[in-house]
Amino acid sequence: MPTRRLPWVIKYRPKRIEDVVNQDKAKELVIPWIRSWLEGRPRKKAALFYGPPGSGKTSMAEAIAHEYGLEIVEMNASDYRRASDIERVAKVAASQRGLFGRGKLILLDEVDGLSGLADKGAIEAILSLINITKNPIIMTANDPWSPSLRPLRDAALMVEFRRLTKTMVKRVLRRICASEGIKCEEEAIDFIAERAEGDLRSAINDLQALAEGYGVVTLEAARTILRQRDRVLPPYEVVRRIIISKYAWQAKRAANLTDLAPDELMQWIHENLPRQITHPEDLWRAYEALSRADVFFGRIRRTGAWDLLPYAVELMTAGVALAITKDMKSKYRWVKYSFPQKIQLMAKTKEVRAIRDEIAEAVSRHIKTSKRKVRADVLPFLTVIFQHGDPAYAAAIAIGLGLGDSSIKYLAQERAPQIMKLVAAMKRELGKIEREEARRREEVKKERSVTKPATEEVKGAKKEEKEKGKRKRRKKEKPAGRGLDAFFKKG
Amino acid sequence: MSSRSSRKVLAELLWAEKYRPRSLDEIVNQEEIVARLKRFVKEKNMPHLLFAGPPGTGKTTAAHALAHDMFGEDYRMYMLELNASDERGIDVIRSKVKEFARSRLPANIPFKIVLLDEADNMTSDAQQALRRLMEMYVAVTRFILIANYPSKIIEPIQSRCAVFRFTPLKKEDVISRLSWICKQEGVKCETDALEAIYEISEGDMRKAINVLQTAAALGEVSVSNVYKAVGLAHPKEVREMIRIALSGDFMGARDQLRRLMINYGLSGVDIVKQIHREIFGPNLDIPEKLRVEIADYLGEIQFRMVEGADEEIQLSALLARLVYMGKRGG
Repeated sequence: MPTRRLPWVIKYRPKRIEDVVNQDKAKELVIPWIRSWLEGRPRKKAALFYGPPGSGKTSMAEAIAHEYGLEIVEMNASDYRRASDIERVAKVAASQRGLFGRGKLILLDEVDGLSGLADKGAIEAILSLINITKNPIIMTANDPWSPSLRPLRDAALMVEFRRLTKTMVKRVLRRICASEGIKCEEEAIDFIAERAEGDLRSAINDLQALAEGYGVVTLEAARTILRQRDRVLPPYEVVRRIIISKYAWQAKRAANLTDLAPDELMQWIHENLPRQITHPEDLWRAYEALSRADVFFGRIRRTGAWDLLPYAVELMTAGVALAITKDMKSKYRWVKYSFPQKIQLMAKTKEVRAIRDEIAEAVSRHIKTSKRKVRADVLPFLTVIFQHGDPAYAAAIAIGLGLGDSSIKYLAQERAPQIMKLVAAMKRELGKIEREEARRREEVKKERSVTKPATEEVKGAKKEEKEKGKRKRRKKEKPAGRGLDAFFKKG
Repeated sequence: MSSRSSRKVLAELLWAEKYRPRSLDEIVNQEEIVARLKRFVKEKNMPHLLFAGPPGTGKTTAAHALAHDMFGEDYRMYMLELNASDERGIDVIRSKVKEFARSRLPANIPFKIVLLDEADNMTSDAQQALRRLMEMYVAVTRFILIANYPSKIIEPIQSRCAVFRFTPLKKEDVISRLSWICKQEGVKCETDALEAIYEISEGDMRKAINVLQTAAALGEVSVSNVYKAVGLAHPKEVREMIRIALSGDFMGARDQLRRLMINYGLSGVDIVKQIHREIFGPNLDIPEKLRVEIADYLGEIQFRMVEGADEEIQLSALLARLVYMGKRGG
């Protein structure tokens, strides 16, 4: 038994032109065209296959190659800009078919990926390729109507591929099920085909994900992992798809089916990965991949190097999915997933954390240390004093630091009522002392104003006046507006 | 406690504040540094300063004491203080700090001071902006930068500063200070207990004083109260979390991790350091080679977190590794 199976979209590619599903009009154009080439007198040296994704453009090209014994030389969107790639293909294109050598078919995939001025050079390169070629050229495009592609349209035989009907898609899916020996519910096939919107490739991928992930193709299973149309799945389904993926491309593709930002998706994976995967070695390897993805996110955040994003996404999807090797069954178990607890916990504990930060701030002002250090180094000891020390002493500290009831509750927990009572009592006492002092000051004033001051007291008063004068002078030395505000005044 | 209750304390401060030296004369250690700083006060002049050294060695205290001696009781009027809790990205440097640095110089002082605590946590962009300010307004404003790791201060700033390296406090300095505080407070203390505090605090005076005050609040400063204070202060959840992970329960360990981060407000680096303490401490019974393996990984994730990685995910990866190690059996 092969350990690694082919993706079905490759395994079930049509071998012959007649196997290409539907597209009879296209076949009518293509077969004479390729025959004219083989006879050496093509009317047009290139053909441009256009139509929606998954309608069979690339499959047709491959079927032609297969049927006429041609070797495909392929170039796709990302290669067009590189002179070296164009040269490589140009060399092949210009070479005559040898006596015994196989003929070539040049396939230029996704030429509509080229656009605007930046790719003008590339289009010219393709045109000159068409001019010199001694081998047939097939180009593909989803949308060939952009003005910049006009020269290509003029130089090529235009072949339209039409969106497949649901019936066609269903027929292919049934055939694959039969050939794989998988039991399929007709409703499930219908569901998949409906959702594919004529895109046979994605329908086959979905079928494979279901069949390999769940072992059966039932409507219920289909509903669970494939979502209706809109191609945006709820986060937990995206995570499930990532984890059950067998191939890197599946896992990567799953990451596209969400509205979540990539780092939010990472939090979802982080939350649910250990719910799904329990084998320690698998879990460890999966977390290795996830934590490496996280390192890349950190680098992106810090340096703004967004071109690192694909590596992060690949690690957190394919890296995680392929890390699971010891307990494959664990991938496919049905487990209830949950919303990232971190976010919920943060919301739930918002109040507590606000109080904690308030205390940290008060303390950090007093002892001139950062809040972070206070949280780590001071708060733990304050908690010990409040929960295990002398309550009266804790109350005195609460007053000294100006802590409110909520702060005391945070620090003292069950002992809070006791300490709060003590704080209240001590504040009353402090108030009494202050009032007493104020009263005494008043009395001294009254005495002075009523009775003629004795010589002793005159001395005292004079001394006090002297002090006042000094203070005034000191005040004068200070700049006009005081404090930092003075520095911020303009002009 | 008897002596205290007889005096009837109605308001109390943290001793780290109460007994913080206000003036350079009160600082009993770092003699060389203090002597040089006193010369600045005498000359009413100083270059930009960079105070570097481990936590709790008196850097911030020295900066405040210097300003105090230079400007008098109201020194805070002439000093802009920005610590790590404040926002101080490049925008703040360009607006708030610049505004202060270039403002008119009051007639009675030789220059103003900008004090930047934990300057090594500033981004290099912000440091670059700072460098220009240090150059442009040196006539009216001097900067004091405080850092644990001077290597994280960009080279051009270092070269514009007189660098002062603070060293961990000597054992006798810590102990004499602690016993002096006990005398002021009228608290009974054992010499063994003070030595235990010194061992625990590793020359960090602020931490030593915190432990002292906590032990005193438990009754008296005895060896057993010192260990009790420290034991109660460090969440046992850290050790608990390691145990749970090694026993194979990843979800349980992760719940514990979240409690530590959210309820205790510990940062990822705090937790890494506490795990590290546990790994090499006496209370965790694990195969010796695991200790080294875990230490290696701890260093790696601490580095990653400092570089901006997500703390919970990195620590979860560590827990997953512990679970695997536990299953593998060393």
